[in-house]
Amino acid sequence: MKTTARIVVPIVLVVAVSLLLQGHNLPGGGFIGGVLTTAAFALIYVAYGLDYLEIGVLGREVESGTGIFEHRSVTAYKRTFVFGLAVAVGSGLAALAFDEPFLTQTYTIVEHVPIYHEIELASALVFDVGVYFVVVGGLLTILSVVGGE
Amino acid sequence: MTDQLVTAPVLVALVSIVLTLSLRRWPRLQRAASVAGGVGYAVAVALVAWGVVLAPNAPGAVAYQIGGWPAPFGITLVADALSAFMLVVAASVGLPAVVLSVLFIDVDNQRVFYHPLFHSLLLGIAGAFLTGDLFNLFVWFEVMLMASYVLVAFYSGAQHTAAAFRYLVLNVIGGVFLLLAVGGLYATTGTLNMADMAQRLADPGAYGIDPAPVFGLSALLFAAFALKAGLVPFQFWVPGAYRAAPLPVSAMLAGASKKVGIYAIIRLYFTVFSGTSASASVPWIADGSPLSVLAPGLLIMGVASVLVGALGAVSRDTIEGMLAYSSIGQVGFIAVPVAIAAGAGSEELRHLGIVAALVYALHHALAKGLLFFSAAAVRSATGTNRMAELSGLASRSPALAGAFFVGSLSLVGVPPLTGFFGKFLVFATAADGYAADPAVGSGAVLLVLLLGALLTILYTTRAWVGSFWGPKTPSVEAATVDRGQVAVLVAVAAAIILLGIGFDPVYRFASAAADAAVDTNGYVDAVDPAGGDGS
Repeated sequence: MKTTARIVVPIVLVVAVSLLLQGHNLPGGGFIGGVLTTAAFALIYVAYGLDYLEIGVLGREVESGTGIFEHRSVTAYKRTFVFGLAVAVGSGLAALAFDEPFLTQTYTIVEHVPIYHEIELASALVFDVGVYFVVVGGLLTILSVVGGE
Repeated sequence: MTDQLVTAPVLVALVSIVLTLSLRRWPRLQRAASVAGGVGYAVAVALVAWGVVLAPNAPGAVAYQIGGWPAPFGITLVADALSAFMLVVAASVGLPAVVLSVLFIDVDNQRVFYHPLFHSLLLGIAGAFLTGDLFNLFVWFEVMLMASYVLVAFYSGAQHTAAAFRYLVLNVIGGVFLLLAVGGLYATTGTLNMADMAQRLADPGAYGIDPAPVFGLSALLFAAFALKAGLVPFQFWVPGAYRAAPLPVSAMLAGASKKVGIYAIIRLYFTVFSGTSASASVPWIADGSPLSVLAPGLLIMGVASVLVGALGAVSRDTIEGMLAYSSIGQVGFIAVPVAIAAGAGSEELRHLGIVAALVYALHHALAKGLLFFSAAAVRSATGTNRMAELSGLASRSPALAGAFFVGSLSLVGVPPLTGFFGKFLVFATAADGYAADPAVGSGAVLLVLLLGALLTILYTTRAWVGSFWGPKTPSVEAATVDRGQVAVLVAVAAAIILLGIGFDPVYRFASAAADAAVDTNGYVDAVDPAGGDGS
C-alpha cells in the first residue's frame, strides 16, 4: 500500500495540475483537478495515517488530545477553501471593473516564449484555480474530519 | 449602469459569504460584516427596484447575460417588476433577520458558519428570483436548500437533526422531480432559457415541437414547487423544520424561501407556459394552456392549506409551533388567488388575483417575520416559548408586546396595516371569481377563506391572551428584555404600519409586477433570445 502510494501519488498530482491548466478549453478544469488532488491526499491518508502529512512531510509536531477541528491540517484546509472562494468570486468581479458582465472571460496569447514559443494566458484560469482550491479545501476538510472520528 | 445593477443582490450576497468566512477569527468584525452584507443586500434590492421599475423612465425589465454569453446559450438574469417585487419581499425579511441574528444567537454559535450560511440563503433566494434560465433556477433552489438544511440542523440536538433529515429527504425527492421536469422540458422544447421556451411554446409548429408533454412535465414542476412552498399535502416538513431552525432563520424560511416556490409557479405558469394550447392528444383537458390544468389543483391545495394551517395553529402550545402552522395557512391564502387567476376568464380577474397574491406575500413576509422575531425576543428574555409558562409579558415589556400585537393584527387583517390590504385583495379576488362563475365550488372557496380568517383571529388572540396578558409567571418576572432586539421589532412593526398607511405605491408596484407576470411578450423582448428567430 505504501509502495503504491509512493509511485501513484506524484503521477496523480501531475495529472491533476495538467487537468487544471488545460481546463478552460479542453476537458478538465478546476473541479476535476481538485477532486484528483484530493484523491492523491486520500491515498496518503489511507496508506500513512492522518498525522503523516504534518510529521513526515512538514516535520512538525502534532499536539495530541485536541479535537479534529483544531488539527493544523484541517484549519489549513479550511483556509484553502476560503481562499479559493475569494479567488473565484474576485475573478468574476474583476470583469465588472472593465465594464463587462459578471464572469466575463478573455485571453491573450503571449508569443516568443522560450521552448513553448507561445502560451495562451486565459483569465478563465484564475476562476478555475479558485474552484480548484475550493474543491481541495472542502473535500479534504470533510475527509479528514470524518476520517478523524 | 442599470445593467450591472441586476447582478448586485447576487454579488453582494456572494461577497458577504467570502467576507464572513474569512473574518471568522475576529467575531466582532464578522458580525459587523454580516450586518453590512444585509444592509448592502437591501440597498442593492432597492436600487434594482428603483432602476428597473419605480424610476420615472425605468425600462420595466432588464436582462443581463452573465459572462457576456448571449441568450439562449448563456445564463440570463432577468430583473422585471415581478422579480423586483419578490426581491423586495426577501430583503424586507432578510435585513431585520440578520440584525436580529447578531443579537439573538449566542456568540459562540455565530462563529460556527452561521453568517456565511445565512448569506448563502439570501444568495439562493436572490438568484432564484432573478434567473431567466430553467436549469439555473434548479441550481439556485439547491443553493438555497443546502444553506437551509444546515441552518435547520444548526443546534444539532436530536430533534433538530431529525427535522433536518426529514426536510432534506423530502427536498431531495422534490429536487429530483424538478430536475426530471427540467430535463423533460429541455428534451421537448430544445431550450432552457425561459424566454426562448415561452416563444417556442407559443408557436410550436414553427419550431417543430409537440407541446403535449409540457402538461405532464409542468405538473411535475408544480409538485416540486408546491413542496417548497409547503402547500397541503406537502406541508408536513414545515412545522418540524421551523421549530428546529434558529428563530431568525424560521422567519426567513417562512417569509422568503416559501415565496420562491410561489414565485416559480407564477413565473413559469403565467409567463412561460401561458402561450401553450392543448392538442387533441391530451384527453380530459378541455381547453387552453397548462394554466387551466393548474387552476383546480392549486385551488384545492390552497383551500386545504388554509384549513390545515389554521386548525393546526389553534391547538399548538408553543408560540413558534403556532406560527409554523399559521404559515401553512397563510401560504394557502397566497395560493388561492393565484389559482383563481389561473382559472380566470378575464384579464382583470387574472391581474387582480396576481396582485392579491403578491401583496399578501409581502404582508405575510413582514407580519410573520415580525412574529417570529418577537418569538425570538421572548425566547431570549424568558428562555421559553411555551404559552403555558408565559403570562403577563405585556406589563413586563410594553414595546415587545406592542410589536407582537401589531404583527397579530396585521395577520388578522385589521386596517390600516398591510395585512388588511392583503386580505382585502384576496377576498376581492375570491368574490369576483364567484361573481364571474357562481358555482358551488367558488362559493365554498369564499366560505373557507372566511373560516380561515376567523381561525386566524382565534389563534392570534389565544397567543396574545396566553402570553402577554394576565399575571406574570416566574419566568416572565425574571426576564431581561434585550433593548436591541426590541428596537428591531419596533422597526419592523413601524414598517408594517407605514406601508399600510402609504399603501398606494405598494399597490402600483404590485400591479406592475402582475402586469410583468402575464406579459410574456415583454419578457421575451427583454431577454431577446437570438435563437428565437431560428438563426
